Amino acid sequence: MAFIYDFLHGDKRRKPLPPKKKEELPYMKEGITYKEWHDRAKGRHKWRNRRWAFLIFINLLFVISFTFDMGVLEGSLSGSRLLGLYLMDPFNSLQELTIGATHNYIPQLTTNFWTGFVTILVFYWIVGGRAFCSWVCPYHFFAELGEKVHDYWVKKRKVKEKTYDITVKYVFWAGFLLLALLTGELVFENLNPVGILSRSIIYGPGLALLWVILLLAYEVFGIKRFWCRYVCPIGVTYSFVGELSPINIKFELDKCGHCRDCQDVCLVPHELWFVKRGAATREVHYTGGDCTKCGLCIDACPGNALSYGLRDSDKILG
Amino acid sequence: MAANEGKFNRRQFLKASAAAVVSLAAVGSVAYWLKDSRSIRDRGLLRPPGAIAEDEFLFACIKCGLCVQICPVRAIKLADWNDGLAYGTPYIDANVQACDFSCDSIQCAETCPTSALHFPVFREAGEKAVAALEAKYNHKLPPDVNPFKVQIYAMKRAYKLGVAKVNADQCLAVHGKGYKGPLTHHRAKLRPPGKDERVYTDQIMVDRKICDLCAVYCPLQEDAIVMKDRGDGTMIPQVLDGCVGCGVCQMVCPTEPPAIVVEPAEL
Repeated sequence: MAFIYDFLHGDKRRKPLPPKKKEELPYMKEGITYKEWHDRAKGRHKWRNRRWAFLIFINLLFVISFTFDMGVLEGSLSGSRLLGLYLMDPFNSLQELTIGATHNYIPQLTTNFWTGFVTILVFYWIVGGRAFCSWVCPYHFFAELGEKVHDYWVKKRKVKEKTYDITVKYVFWAGFLLLALLTGELVFENLNPVGILSRSIIYGPGLALLWVILLLAYEVFGIKRFWCRYVCPIGVTYSFVGELSPINIKFELDKCGHCRDCQDVCLVPHELWFVKRGAATREVHYTGGDCTKCGLCIDACPGNALSYGLRDSDKILG
Repeated sequence: MAANEGKFNRRQFLKASAAAVVSLAAVGSVAYWLKDSRSIRDRGLLRPPGAIAEDEFLFACIKCGLCVQICPVRAIKLADWNDGLAYGTPYIDANVQACDFSCDSIQCAETCPTSALHFPVFREAGEKAVAALEAKYNHKLPPDVNPFKVQIYAMKRAYKLGVAKVNADQCLAVHGKGYKGPLTHHRAKLRPPGKDERVYTDQIMVDRKICDLCAVYCPLQEDAIVMKDRGDGTMIPQVLDGCVGCGVCQMVCPTEPPAIVVEPAEL
């Protein structure tokens, strides 16, 4: 276990580099004030706009395929077929395999199921695990909007900000698999806002949508990004897949002014642990499995210290 | 400031975990209760072709909706929360749109990635029929014999959605009554027996002296249903062993509620 932890989080355990001296900060180097430097990122939404456009496009593609009877992207986010190629929700598949193992059902699963399962794992390993969350998941989209309202309420002191230990999501992940094993039912799928929302958008809303609305309300007036941060086992599955993704968010220490705006906009701020003054242990860092590759931090960074990059490309290419 | 910067706090973790375990236990108990009281909860949904036994179907179906999407007459719908653990699983509402046999390849079962709709049954039935046909002609099929038609017919005979049941009290023919008007009052799709094209049912005008629509529009015709003369000028539909429960009879039945209803195979 320690070996795995070191392999994945070894950078965190290294001795931090000495904190930057004042004259090493990017705005000092340029000879401008902090405010001038900081205002550069104001109103910049390049990656957010691209991401929202892509997310809406993907979900709309499902709707268009169904409404106009075109075989482009069929099914729903629980399981789909893109131009004939099957894609399976990885956590749904894991539950199916868990139940299948005890009910002797695994031999019945079709080749399409296996190709769909493997394709999704390989694809999301390449593009970075939880990229699904911010670039595809419709619940994320609404939760992201809800987060804005939540932040407003907190600012107005109507809601008190509360956080939990994010490690609890692993308990939910294992727990939902255990429930599948014990009950022999896809229990999580009855509560899965991703599937419910996806099916509601494509095939029309139903009672189950009330649950999604309730969850969103809880995130707005209760705990910020409750489901995505602390519960969603689909996100956890993708975070395992994306732990060592080649495509990642790259951090360059020399461009960082330690304003920490990136952590303020981030869904999973612990992935940006290295932006705190005196925390970085290397000149270049990459985010880990929880990072959704949403690009909000890239937009927010006045010094352009954060960017999409290939993991360790600098090491490999020398 | 930023939530949880990656420092592991045992106390916080244990507190959150306890909450997680409690909520998981609650969810699990509800699932168990729903599973146990399935006889009350399960409304006897009419499953699409090839559906495996209901107990297995409920976990095998991953609620993806691919079968809904591929059905050319849009007969398949997804169940809602009020159907308990059947939420998100496909069913057919034969009152609105029956499975009319016009797809000619049973794609809904073929597309199912987890075999909740089990396609091999149909494939084998089709292959067996074609093999028998070829054997009959000594492996030299005459040009006027279309093996595809034989194959698809055999595949469809391998369906078992349910069986049609007649409610004699309600049936127009039993009362010696006829029916004149559109085949259905709502718009549905149907390929009438012997025809190649689908039509809209609300555009077909029918005029029967004694109502026999269920038998006239049954895709399997006299293999599945015949009108039996009762001797006094009235008739009664008689469902035969060949009935596969496609639900066309239920869809075209003029009475409200329909005098002929498909009972799901599972019940």
